Amino acid sequence: MARIDTAKAYAAERGYAVTEARGTTWIDVPRDELTEFFTAMQEAGFNYLPNVVGIDYSEYPEERPERFAVLFELVSIKGWKDGDGSRFFARVWVPERDPVLPSATPLYAGAGFLEREVYDMFGIRFEGHPDLRKILTPEDLEGHPLRKDYPLGETPTIFHDGRYIDPAQFRAGITGKDPGLTGRKGGARKGYAEYFDDVRRAAAADGEDV
Amino acid sequence: MKPNTDVPLPEEPKELRSELMVLNVGPQHPSTHGVLRVVVTMAGEEIIDLEPHIGYLHSGFEKTMENRTYTQNFTFTPRMDYVHSFAHDMAYALAVEKLVGAQVPERAETIRIILNELSRIASHLLFVASGLLDLGAMTPFFYAFREREAILDLFEWVTGQRFHHNYVRVGGLKEDVPEEFVPELKKFLAGFLAKVDDYQGMFDGSPIFNSRARDVGVIPPEVAINLGLTGGSLRASGVNYDVRKAHPYGGYEKYDFDVPLGTRGDTYDRMVIRLEEMRQSHRIISQAVERLEPGPIRDPNPHFSLPPRNMLGRSMEALIFHFKLVTEGFHPPLGEAYVPTESARGELSYYVVSDGGSLPYRVKIRTPEFVNIQSLRYAAKGHQFADFIAILATLDPVLGGIDR
Repeated sequence: MARIDTAKAYAAERGYAVTEARGTTWIDVPRDELTEFFTAMQEAGFNYLPNVVGIDYSEYPEERPERFAVLFELVSIKGWKDGDGSRFFARVWVPERDPVLPSATPLYAGAGFLEREVYDMFGIRFEGHPDLRKILTPEDLEGHPLRKDYPLGETPTIFHDGRYIDPAQFRAGITGKDPGLTGRKGGARKGYAEYFDDVRRAAAADGEDV
Repeated sequence: MKPNTDVPLPEEPKELRSELMVLNVGPQHPSTHGVLRVVVTMAGEEIIDLEPHIGYLHSGFEKTMENRTYTQNFTFTPRMDYVHSFAHDMAYALAVEKLVGAQVPERAETIRIILNELSRIASHLLFVASGLLDLGAMTPFFYAFREREAILDLFEWVTGQRFHHNYVRVGGLKEDVPEEFVPELKKFLAGFLAKVDDYQGMFDGSPIFNSRARDVGVIPPEVAINLGLTGGSLRASGVNYDVRKAHPYGGYEKYDFDVPLGTRGDTYDRMVIRLEEMRQSHRIISQAVERLEPGPIRDPNPHFSLPPRNMLGRSMEALIFHFKLVTEGFHPPLGEAYVPTESARGELSYYVVSDGGSLPYRVKIRTPEFVNIQSLRYAAKGHQFADFIAILATLDPVLGGIDR
């Protein structure tokens, strides 16, 4: 029996949903049974964890059980002992209010950096991770950039006559989607022409000559 | 009277004082291959512990890609791993093609494989060159860059760019290769294998290289798999895992090539295995050149491929599709697609989520370097500091790929 069938049988036994599309398999694992699941899968021969994917479904058009999903890819590595190349994603739904789930690091050391990345980008905490710190963004950056409600902070394109293109509005015109939050700094959102007017007015009020 | 010039001797210390030293390497350091910072704790010259700090080059590509159309994103893909950049173009294209269900024509597949393998050779050449430079060998650098330059010239000829190609499109390629490309490529291939032998001759028999590299930084296979190590560094440990063989993609199943394996998993194996991989890439390209038949280079499906230029003046529909594709982009169906591929550094994969719009909902990039760098601590512990530089070089980090 191929290892992927072992995983599917395990899922069927416990009533986990199995999805298959475009040659990829997803198994939905409840949060509190995740550690048990990893242990069982490692015993079943899935010895390699190449990928941990975090997804924020808050703006997804289809209904999803929770806001966040964390996907752990498990592989039985082909080319080492009796590995057969089976691979699938274990998907865990993580609620927004309590974004915590058990870490895979006690069993798969390679998940260390990948989980730190998910923590940094989505603010999802992994219990049992030996060293859960931010990894890519600067230490003084607040928020989690890959959450859908994190602003982009783009600067508008300015033309001679004061006309400007706001990138978010421009995209919204194309896609029909909500422009979302842009302009982390309030001034940039108006366009620089008006922003500089503000600066001049403020300076004039202080009695400075700009 | 002569003054007393005797300097009083300092008092003998009662006992020798020794303490751990914490050394900060990088982020600006020539042998960290980019802006990697490693905090190394040493007792004398021996490494007790080390901690890599990354993120100095983080550019938020994943967030940016969520706000650009699928085609615009080909601008960002090669900028991550700028050494083997074609692998990123191809991996991203494969994931999106899976999403839209595109059929890539035979010729486009073959050209992709030729360019991907050329890019892999260019990457391995840089690996060998800079790896040996870190060990103090200056000469191989110049020889390896001679061939690398020839490959980059070929790329410039085909794609217009040396590194950031922007040549792949969803469903095929931007345009066909120039007519003179194949004869020039054959000229390059004819002399290449002898040059790989030259590189090997430059360090393989050298007793200095042997003593610097043999049994240094050994990673046993079980540990390597558990740490998520992939690519040549994993194969040096004796694990026969190459995504091109294990999970063939993009037409690799049609080619005949071997996966070179190491036996010990030390610095020496990791260095030599790259040379053998260059020979295998040469073998794949030679087969691909023979397969190259004239034909279309793009899926003709108008829903994601631009219509031919000459149609625009004659067909209203072509004009409409062209306008919609350029201003708005195409709309893949709702869903998620994932394709693992093999870059020069290991397993590279794009996980693309579509919400039915013309911008991807989420793009997750699993770059091999990001995961591989975790093995550094295991491999370097207990070795001397000079060996740490060699171990780091053979793990082949590219910081653009690590930080994304």
